[in-house]
Amino acid sequence: MINDMIAIISDHWLLLLIGQYPNGPLGGLANTLILSALSIALAFPVSILFALARLSKWRMLRWPVTALVYITRGVPLLMLILWSYFLVPLLTGADVPSFVTMLTTLVVYQGAFLSEVVRGGIVALGHGQMEAAKALGHSYLGAMRFIILPQALYNMIPSIISTFVSTIKDTTLGYVINVPDLTFAANQVNNQLLTQPFQVFLILAIVYYAICWSLTQVANIIERRITRRRAGETRGPAVPAEPRPIALEQP
Amino acid sequence: MTQSATSPELLPAIRLSNVCKSYGDHPVLKNIDAQVARGEVVVICGPSGSGKSTLIRTINRLEEISSGSITFDGQNIHAPMPTKALNLLRSRIGFVFQNFNLFPHLSVVDNVSMSPVRVKGVAPDVAYDKALRLLDRVGLADKAKAYPAQLSGGQQQRVAIARALAMEPPVMLFDEPTSALDPEMVGEVLAVMKSLAAEGMTMLCVTHEMGFARDVADRIWFIDAGEIIETAPPETFFNNPRHPRAQRFLADLRH
Ligand SMILES: Nc1ncnc2c1ncn2[C@@H]1O[C@H](COP(=O)(O)OP(=O)(O)OP(=O)(O)O)[C@@H](O)[C@H]1O
Ligand SMILES: [Mg+2]
Repeated sequence: MINDMIAIISDHWLLLLIGQYPNGPLGGLANTLILSALSIALAFPVSILFALARLSKWRMLRWPVTALVYITRGVPLLMLILWSYFLVPLLTGADVPSFVTMLTTLVVYQGAFLSEVVRGGIVALGHGQMEAAKALGHSYLGAMRFIILPQALYNMIPSIISTFVSTIKDTTLGYVINVPDLTFAANQVNNQLLTQPFQVFLILAIVYYAICWSLTQVANIIERRITRRRAGETRGPAVPAEPRPIALEQP
Repeated sequence: MTQSATSPELLPAIRLSNVCKSYGDHPVLKNIDAQVARGEVVVICGPSGSGKSTLIRTINRLEEISSGSITFDGQNIHAPMPTKALNLLRSRIGFVFQNFNLFPHLSVVDNVSMSPVRVKGVAPDVAYDKALRLLDRVGLADKAKAYPAQLSGGQQQRVAIARALAMEPPVMLFDEPTSALDPEMVGEVLAVMKSLAAEGMTMLCVTHEMGFARDVADRIWFIDAGEIIETAPPETFFNNPRHPRAQRFLADLRH
């Protein structure tokens, strides 16, 4: 069976790697990675905006974003993908490429999830930091940018990486709307061979596992490092009982 | 009006008129009328829960008030104003917290130099040099590169004072600056505050350190149940408190 798998890879590695490119759209593993990277790169700033909106004192900002986050978190991703696939062209009349549909859906979905993490990170810092910033004359956004977010985001790095991992897994759902990704390519290979589905999909599983496992390892290492810094802080001087933010050295 | 009557030098630094504040229907500050002259050092004392923190926090508008007015340099701090104006006012009122509230992700010198750069637009190298001088002044020049978590409580509070001073505020407010400290560190912080007072800084300080009040304060405000019920120079307050509740407070302290 190993031989079968090696044969499949040596015959079809280009398709699995880049899909039909350059004769068709870019696909395969390359497209999976591009889709994942773009999703997380966009979901990250979106999550900060969502979190700030949810913490805003303006209802006009807080309520719609809260509703959006709740709905997004309460609905299976597949539903969201199908909705955007069928509804967006209906509403806009434009023919949206499935890659863009998938990207947008992933950004909103992961942005909503990550925004809860960001919000938690901000709230966990306590009032003291914002009050100190205000007392020095910082504006709300200035305090967020220079004082609150650097601390909250640093503490969130492991969560951000695990969101990245789940984003990679989520890209496989692009299959249902024909996004030419790695899963799509593997299915094409399977349709050509017809007789070796187990081997083909085992290759697929191994590739996803390898990518996600490496990222999880990175997350674990960073998490351990942050935990060590926190421990370093509690060994430090006596601090008041109020919830205290995490102390860190320059990353 | 003549020039001299409105000249800022003759106005009190801070004037509270009829300040009231309630949480729900629970009044916390009742008709506070008081003023702080330029260069004056006022110590606010009173029993726990009497409203000392609330009072001092209304002065830089970390707390809103229900009615009345608080003027600083002739400007009503609680008037409706654009947030920019409020931030500018706050940047001119130094505030030192009980829990220091240093920025743990920044080194000591960055804690001190950051706000002048970000809020006032001071050039980074100028702010940095100034921060080093301020740290030297509070006795922490050798800790400039350390992070807050590596400092003792007393050192952290001295950094917090330097950080407030970096904005060059004409007034400094302190809310129990030594209450979170181990006893052996109280002295180093009080010494810094004492030197500030000696240089003519206008200061308003909530503290239970009666030795400091006696030595440094020009006036004591005694507050109980949200009311300032006695204001007097320290000798008078400590030797001849008029109000029975002030007498009881002082008697409790001696035990
Ligand atoms: N956010 C709040 N909501 C409701 N009540 C509050 C709030 N903050 C303070 N209070 C109440 O206001 C009163 C005054 O509180 P404040 O913190 O000003 O007292 P204090 O004199 O500083 O006390 P301490 O010496 O313990 O610091 C107390 O009765 C307190 O319970
Ligand atoms: Mg208090």
